[in-house]
This record gives sequence, C-alpha cells and structure tokens, in this order.
Amino acid sequence: MSDAVQEFEAGLARLGGDVTATFAACIDENALRAENAKLAGPQGELTALLKLMPKLPGDRRKELGQRANQVKQAIQSAFDGRLAAIARAIREAELSGPQLDVSLPGRSVRPGGQHPITKTIEELLDVFASLGFEISESREIELAEYNFGRLGFPPDHPATDMQDSFFVKGRTGSAAGGGGDDAVVLRTHATAIQVHEMLARKPPMAVVASGTVYRRDDDATHSPMFHQIDGFLVDKNVSFAHLKGVLTTFLKRTFGADVPVRFRPSYFPFVEPGGELDIGCTFCRPWVEAGSEAQIARTLACRTCKQTGWIEVLGCGSIHPVVFESCGVDPNEWSGFAWGMGIDRIAMLRHGIRDIRMLYENDIRFLDQL
Amino acid sequence: MKASCNWIREIAAIDASASEMAERLTRAGLEVEAIERVGEGLDRVVIAEVRGKRAHPTKDKLSLVTVFDGKGTREVVCGAPNVPAPGARVVLVDVGAVLPGGLRIESREVAGVRSEGMLASEKELGIGADHEGILVLGDDDPGKPGARVDEALDLRDEILHLSLTPNRPDCLGHLGLARELSVLFGEPFAPRLTLLPSKLMSVLPEAPRGTAALPVIDSGTGHSGETASLVAPVDGVPMVAPIHIAAPDRCARYVGTVLQRVVVGPSPFWVRHRLHTLGQRSIDRVVDVTNLVLLELGHPIHAFDLDRLDGHRIEVRLAREGERIALLDGTERTLTADDLVIADASKPIALAGVMGGSETAVRPGTKNVLLEVAWFDPRSVRRTSRRHAIHTESSHRFERGVDPSGIPTAQRRALSLLTTLAEAVSSPIGVDAETRRIANATISLDPDYVRSAIGDASISDVESRTILEGLGCAISPGEHSGWRITAPLHRPDLTRAIDLVEEVARVRGYDRVPTALLRPEPRPEAASSRALLVRQVRRAALATGHHEAVNFTFLAASDLTRARVSTEAVALANPLSEERSVMRTSLVPGLLANVSRAERHQRPRGRIFEIGRRYLPGNGPTSVDETASLAIVAFGARDQWLGEGPSVDFYDGKGAIEGVFASLALTVEHRVPANVPGWLHPRRAAEIVLRAGEDARVIGHVGEIHPDVADAHELVTRPVIAELDLEPVLVALAARAPKQVAALPRSMAVVRDLALVVEERVSLSQIAHAIREAGGPLVEDVALFDLYRGKPIAEGHKSFALRVTYRDPEATLTDARVEETQSRVIARTSSELGATLRA
Repeated sequence: MSDAVQEFEAGLARLGGDVTATFAACIDENALRAENAKLAGPQGELTALLKLMPKLPGDRRKELGQRANQVKQAIQSAFDGRLAAIARAIREAELSGPQLDVSLPGRSVRPGGQHPITKTIEELLDVFASLGFEISESREIELAEYNFGRLGFPPDHPATDMQDSFFVKGRTGSAAGGGGDDAVVLRTHATAIQVHEMLARKPPMAVVASGTVYRRDDDATHSPMFHQIDGFLVDKNVSFAHLKGVLTTFLKRTFGADVPVRFRPSYFPFVEPGGELDIGCTFCRPWVEAGSEAQIARTLACRTCKQTGWIEVLGCGSIHPVVFESCGVDPNEWSGFAWGMGIDRIAMLRHGIRDIRMLYENDIRFLDQL
Repeated sequence: MKASCNWIREIAAIDASASEMAERLTRAGLEVEAIERVGEGLDRVVIAEVRGKRAHPTKDKLSLVTVFDGKGTREVVCGAPNVPAPGARVVLVDVGAVLPGGLRIESREVAGVRSEGMLASEKELGIGADHEGILVLGDDDPGKPGARVDEALDLRDEILHLSLTPNRPDCLGHLGLARELSVLFGEPFAPRLTLLPSKLMSVLPEAPRGTAALPVIDSGTGHSGETASLVAPVDGVPMVAPIHIAAPDRCARYVGTVLQRVVVGPSPFWVRHRLHTLGQRSIDRVVDVTNLVLLELGHPIHAFDLDRLDGHRIEVRLAREGERIALLDGTERTLTADDLVIADASKPIALAGVMGGSETAVRPGTKNVLLEVAWFDPRSVRRTSRRHAIHTESSHRFERGVDPSGIPTAQRRALSLLTTLAEAVSSPIGVDAETRRIANATISLDPDYVRSAIGDASISDVESRTILEGLGCAISPGEHSGWRITAPLHRPDLTRAIDLVEEVARVRGYDRVPTALLRPEPRPEAASSRALLVRQVRRAALATGHHEAVNFTFLAASDLTRARVSTEAVALANPLSEERSVMRTSLVPGLLANVSRAERHQRPRGRIFEIGRRYLPGNGPTSVDETASLAIVAFGARDQWLGEGPSVDFYDGKGAIEGVFASLALTVEHRVPANVPGWLHPRRAAEIVLRAGEDARVIGHVGEIHPDVADAHELVTRPVIAELDLEPVLVALAARAPKQVAALPRSMAVVRDLALVVEERVSLSQIAHAIREAGGPLVEDVALFDLYRGKPIAEGHKSFALRVTYRDPEATLTDARVEETQSRVIARTSSELGATLRA
C-alpha cells in the first residue's frame, strides 16, 4: 500500500468522524462557517486531501474518490443542519425577546384640526344638501339695497336696530343722515342670497348658503363678526306647513331624532308669517326622564339654556311678498320659505366652547384639541 | 318693556295667572323673558299710626317713636330724619320679620333703648326707590293701622319682562297688552279706563282760528251719573293756546289742552310704586301722570309749563340749521333742518316725540300746564333720535308707530289723572290741529288663502274671522268674493293679506301648524358648487397636517403696514375700534398674529392655514373685489419622531404647497419670483405657478417671512408663509379631469448614481434639465439623494448626488447603451453648466 493511500485513508477517517458534534459546538454562524472552512473550505482539510487524488493508484482511485465524496456530503449536510438550527434559535430568541414599548410616539403625518366654525357649517350644509338644497354663496360687502331694501326693510325702520351695520367709508349712502339703497355695508345676514339668486334665475329654486356676517355688537356673547347659514326655497304652492316640516326634519337630523322642537312666532321684515325654532337644550336634555327630580335639577343648573330647557337655533318664515316683488318674482304664482341661523353658538354648543372669543383667537392650544 | 299683571287685570277681565299670560304671549310671538314677583315677603309688615315721638336719651340722630299697630302701642327707635307728627301713618316691620333684602328684625337695644320693630323706607321694603327716610303715607293713600301693608297698598304684583319685536308698537302699553291677551284667551275686550276730568273750567273758550276744538268730555259715550266740578278760570291765564303745524308731513295731529291751578308735588304712594315696579323714577305729580299714560296706553305725551311758553302758543316746525335747545337730560343740542321741534313764539321747546326742553319743563311752583297729545311721523322721530343718539320711552314708541286714533283717549285719560292727582282744572276743550287723517288700511282677504298659505285646510272661516275681529279688524264682504278687512289704526303692521294670515297662524299657535314635506327638484349645475370646491382645498390643507384658523376679516390699518401687505384697503365708516377698522387685503397679517400668539403662549411651533376672503378696492356695484385666498404658515421646529428637529425653512413651505396640490391632483411649480412681495425674504421665496394644460400662471408666493417683518411682530421664530389666490385654483378644480394612468413597463430599468460638482448658482432644475436633454427618452427619472457642501469641495461649489433611472420601454437596456448615454449626460452637464464628476 502506497503512502498516498495511507495518508488519504487516514484523512478520510479523520474527516469522516463525528462532524455533527464538531458543528454543534459552534455557537453562532461565524464559528460554524469557520469550522466548516477548516474542514471543507478551499483551504480546508478535505480540499487538501483531494489534492492527493492524482497520486493515488489507479485501481483505488475510484473507490477512494467515492468515499471522499460521501465525507464531503456528510460535512455539507451537517453544516446545513447546524446553520438552520442556529437561524432558528436566533428567530426564536427574537420572538421571545423583550416586549416593545408601544407607548412611544408613533410616526405619522397628523392631519390638522378643522376649525369648529367651518366644520359646523360643512356638516349643516350637508344635511340641507341631503334634503335637496343647492349650496351657494354671495358677497360679504353688500349694497344696502340687497341687505335691507329689497328684503323689505323700510328706510329708517327700527327693524334695522336689531342689526346695526358697519358702513364702508365713502359709501355711507345718499339718504339724509346716511343710509339709503346705495350705501355699502358689511352684510348683516346672509339673506341677500335670496335677492341674488332670484334676480339671476327663475324659480323653482332651493338654495342654502353660509357666510361671514357682521353686526356692530361686541360683548361677552356677541362678536362683531360671526357666521350664518341662510337658505330658502321657492316653488308653487309652498305653505308654512312645508317650512315647519323641512326645518323640523333638518333639526332632528342635526341634533338627534329625539330632540324636541318648538316653533313660535317672531318678526323679520323679509318673512311672513315669521317664526323662530327652538330645540330642547342639548346640554341638560330636559326631555330625558322629563319631570323627574334629576331632570329638574339638571335644567335648573343649566347655564347653556339659562334654565329654560330650550335653545333658540333659527329664525324663519314664509318669504314675504315684498321680497318676491322686489326681485321680479310674481308672489301670486310663487311662494316659499326662508330661514337663517347663527353658526357660532351651534359650534360652541357642539364643541363645549364656553367663550365666544376662543373661536377667533386661533390659539394653537385650542386648535390642537380639534 | 315691563308690564304689570295687576294693571292688565285692572284694564281687562283676564283671570289668567302671570305664568299663563307669559306662556300664551310667548307662544303668540310676544316673548316674555322673565316674570318678576314684587311685594313678596312683607307678611309681617303692617301700617301703623304715629302716636308720639321723643328724643333718644344719648344719640342726637335717633328718635323714639310710639306707634299704634292696630292692637296696641309700642316704641321703636328710628334714625330717619322724617318721622312725621302724630296722626300720620308709617310702616312698621314687626320683630321676627325678614325683609326682602335679607334683613332680620329683632327686638334689640339701640344705644341703650329697646326697639320693638323698625319703621322702614320704601327701599328697605323693596317697593320703591326712596331711601332718604321712612315711608310716610299721604292722606290719599289707603290703609288702616294694623293692616298688612302688602294688602292695604296692593303691593303684590307680577311684572312681565317682554322682549317685543319692532312690528308690535301696540303692545308697548298695558292697554294693548290687555287687548292682545283678551284675544289670546278668547275673551271679549272692553277696556276699563276712567276718561272723565274731575275739574273743569266753568267757561267754554273758543278754539283759535284755523284749528278745531276737541271737547275733553266725550259726548258720544256720555258719563252717566258722573259730573265734573266746575271751577272759575284764573284771570290772565289763557284757557287755550294756539297751535300751528308748519311741517304737516311730520306731524299729522297735535292736541294741546290747558290746565290751570296745578299742584306739583310728590305723587301718592300707589303712583310711585307703580312707576317703580315698571322701572321708572317718580318725578312729580304732573310728570308722573304723563308717564302713567305712556305706560298704560303706549302713547307718549308731554306737559309744558304754560307760563314759560313765549306767546302762550305752540308751533310744530322743522328746526333751523344750528338752532340750539337745552334738553331735560341736561344736555344742550345743536339741531339740523331735518329735526322736528315743538316751538313757542321764539324758540324750540322740545325735540318732537323724543325729549322735552328743560326751560319749559314742569317744576315745583309750576301753576299752569299745556298738555301735548300728538302723532309724529315715525321716520322723522327715528332720524332725530339716531342723529342725536337719544333713545327715550317716547322715541321708542313714536318711531315704531303710535295709534293715531288713540289721541282723544290719551288726552282724556291724562286729564282725568291730572285733575285728580294734581288737582288741576282742565279747559273744557283742547285745541286740535290736524293736518291729515291717517287712514285705516283696507285689505282684501280670501279665507281660502289663509288655509293655503298656512297649509292647514282645517282652519274654518269662523275661526279666522273671530281672531281678526278680536284683534280689532272690521270685516265686510269683498267686492267679488272673500272679505274686505279694515285694519285697526293701532296695528300699523297690518297692511296686506299675508299680515292677516300671520295673525291667524300666530293667535292659533304655531304648534298647531301641521308639518308637510317637499323635495326640491335637483339641478345638474349644482354639483360644481364653489363651496364644495373650497371644501376640497380645506381637506387637502388639513390632510397635510395644518390646523385651520378663522381670523377676523377686519383689522387695524397698522396691521397691514406691519405685515407689509397692500395698504390699499376698504375702510369702515363706523368701526367699533381702530383695531378693526379696515378690511384685510391679505390673510398674512392674521396668520402672523396667530404665530405671535402661539409664541407668547409657549407653543412656538406649528402649521396653520386659513381659507378666506381678501377685500380689495375694485369695480362692480360695491367697488370691492372679494376674492378667496389660501394662506399657510409653518413656524418653529420641524416635526420629527422624538424631540424637536431643526427649524422649518423654505422647503417646508414649498413642501406644504406641493402636498396640498398633490392631494388636489393639480400641478404647481415653484420659480424664482419676478417680484417678491414685501412680506417675504427677497432671496428665500418662490412664486407658485399653477399649470393647467398649456396654461401657466402665477397664483401666489411662498417663502421665509422677511426678517424685518418677523422683527416687527417680535417673533422668535422665522415662519415660512405662503399666500395664493384661490380663484384660479377653483376654476382648475372644476375643470380637472380624472388622472390618466400609463401602462406599466415590462423592461428592467438601469439605475446609475452620479455625483456632480457645480457652482452655487447652478440649480437642480438646470442640472436635471441638462440630463434629460442629453439622455433623451431613455432618462426616466432624475432624483437628488444628497446635497453636499464643504471639504473637499471648493468654496462656492456644491455637490449634487443624483440617481438617474434609465429605461427603454421597448427593450432591455444593454450596459453599452447605458454607458454611452451616461457619457453624453456627463459631457452635457460639463459643457453647459460647468459640472465636474466628483472624485
């Protein structure tokens, strides 16, 4: 037996030993690969052994070659097995590792907070849209003719006391002592939308508009600038009962189907019959367990409705024939109804805002909460 | 308006409680805001008679008063200066009583003397304003010693606090309220008022030429069994005063009646009490009567001191420009030729329907009076009242419309009270100057119209008729059909059929109006409503992390200057304050104020936007252009996961705009601006270009705030701010087509990184443009992934690290083609922009 055969066989015997145990001693992938390289890598023992092949006698070469190949496969298989085991152990360790602190802040682009005024306007307009009204708008700086005259406010009438107006410098009107149709005012209500729409097209029409309005009031409960939603409907054979039906539906959809609605007469020059709609106070909810001691105590402590149980939400009425006439619409053929509501107070009610000034300060600490 | 329930019940037969009245009035559109109870808590207060008085042994200011309380006598200590002589009646608060103000009366020693009760003032009892001394009853006041004061003096009452709409002047008096309540409770109305003077002059004078005489005794109704005592007129005092109306369009009727031998002095208790509970001050017997008549009938009247009228005559005329008058409120006013005045032969003595003059006012010592009962034009009174900023009980009623047919009643009621309370002797006639008769409105009404307008077929003709007649309407058959209705003069608001429909609906109650629904017919144009487009912009701004602000649209002119936005603003003629005197020309000042506020409140970082209008002097009927605008501000540290990032800069603002427009699916570009607005940093701003098809237009600007503007607002941060015109954006949104999608490429892309060193002046867009030009259609994308300045790059240079994506959609790219293209790209950037490959 040649030396080469002897050496080769010794090598195979060494390499064919318990490779699995050798690999099992390797605690991580690096150690495993290093061990594997020592055995089967290009600089490894097996490679060195295979370099002896040409020196082997021809009659043994095939058999020894096959045995070498078996050893190689055994090493490879032991390596693969150990590698998978190590990977699995790592995965197991990860899956059973420490709990993440889920209270740390998330990463995201946060949407901003929508202002309560625009949010309220959008939601209320959507209710009217669902009832079939078109959404429109018109100018804020308005001719007195559109804000007062065509809406049936007689010149010098005390009705204008209710909404003392801001006039534009240089356009205070040609009437004696100021005023008159040619004066330019900051609109005192969004009602001029009726005039604009009726002058622009023919009935039937059903329109709702929101907007900024202005009155010369500035105190704890009044802001000189505030917001309104005004709407109106003109068609044939529209009655006061339609007004009551449509607006009651609006109020119930907006404030809840169980909220009671009260309808009482009032006066606005551009409607007749005119009225106001109240809803049951949404803070003390006097209709819940009505008459019980708890309910009475709630209502008596309620600052929102001043203990009355009711909150005034909108003024309304059948459109006055004077408005139709001033807009070139025949009141004998057409009839309709109109309403207007202040948004600021509703927004305050909905968001629990106690001080009207907060609405227009835009304090970032306020906006953050929205 | 305050109304006494007792008084209402005196006038009309209404037995409803105060709360029933309030509920019914409110449901009929006459809102009762509160019910105030007066005269409560006086059950242990009695009338007592003074029997004796002696000085306190040690205290000068106190006296010891012996009073008889109906059962026995007792001694009380009293500190008032006005303890009357024995025989007079005062008011005794018994030991143990608690007064309305909370004061508990106990038997106690006052400076060593035991006091068994207390003698009280009106104010202490809560029944009057007088607190100078104890209440001493006059001879004409009722009540025996021992009687409970609240019962004897009729102190218990409920006061309704009404908030009346301006169309209902008829309810500005108890008579009108009694009439209204009678209708509401379905009772017939026959007012109970004494209209007979108790003392008349025994000589019948003649009315001066040109005027009529109004007899003060109504021969029509007669006062059976009642007679007035006749008294001889005073020598040398006129029995009538001539009246001339020189401004007939302003004054339809003026009745002047002379009263002689007037006794001016404090009013009896019931008058003082009644005025007090209704919020009025008692002055003297004559003035108090004019106020009683105003409160009772809603008709303002006035009393002049006849002896102070130059020429003993009245002229109703327009003031002469610059004429002056001293008024009862102590002021002196300069009048205009649009002010209606009452004048004597030489001077104005009253602002008609607004306020009397001080010179001719009734005062202690006044002997003879001229009583004015008139009807003035509402618009005239209103203009004068507004011009001089004088709002009185009188002007309040005249400007809303006083009942012209109520003049004789007002005159007779006043004379009845004056002759009784002020012991005056009335002339048998008033001088009646009437320039025109105010006509009743006549209205055609079809009862079917009532039903169709209200939408309630169940309203019967009888029901409508009963309501309208109850309100004072006279109904006769119409010419062809329906009714012809004559509206009463006390309801100037009833002029057309719809007014009567409202009355029927109102008196029946709106809770009885049925509900009906109807569905408007949809119009296709409505879908592109501007408001809905604005909403999309708002959504986009919110989604990109901005809070929404709503700022005041008016501000101080100095706010515009400080923010360096346009100062050509629409100014208000009558602002509430300088701080809110011009309309904004930009949303920038408002947002800067919001930033400033945030910094002051230790929240110096944030992102805010506002959508609102700008108001610029312009054309059109109002000479104002109102355009919608969007403004965005970012300030303070940039958001990062933990802690604060570096301060926001231009690119945060640009990114905000890009984010908003990306979410609107519109295309914008940012360019070096042709003109930088004054509020922006001249070198750190861009103009925003909206691209819609072939059309590209500058819609606004974005950039760092100008440092001087930041300083002027005392800002710590350097906000990045943008403002743009929303109008073209809304147009583009309305015209926007759905986004088109290309097929996905099947071939692989090849990505090559490229680091190019260029001079500072070379922009990324120039480099990207050069790469695309040189690379042609194979260049799919050029993205910057790093920007580096500093060693080893030479000063004044920067390095762009770019990732270029090459793709041939038709075929797989070979390395050779990519290399060849990349070489061209490098050569082009080098030749065109001086770029060199970074080593």
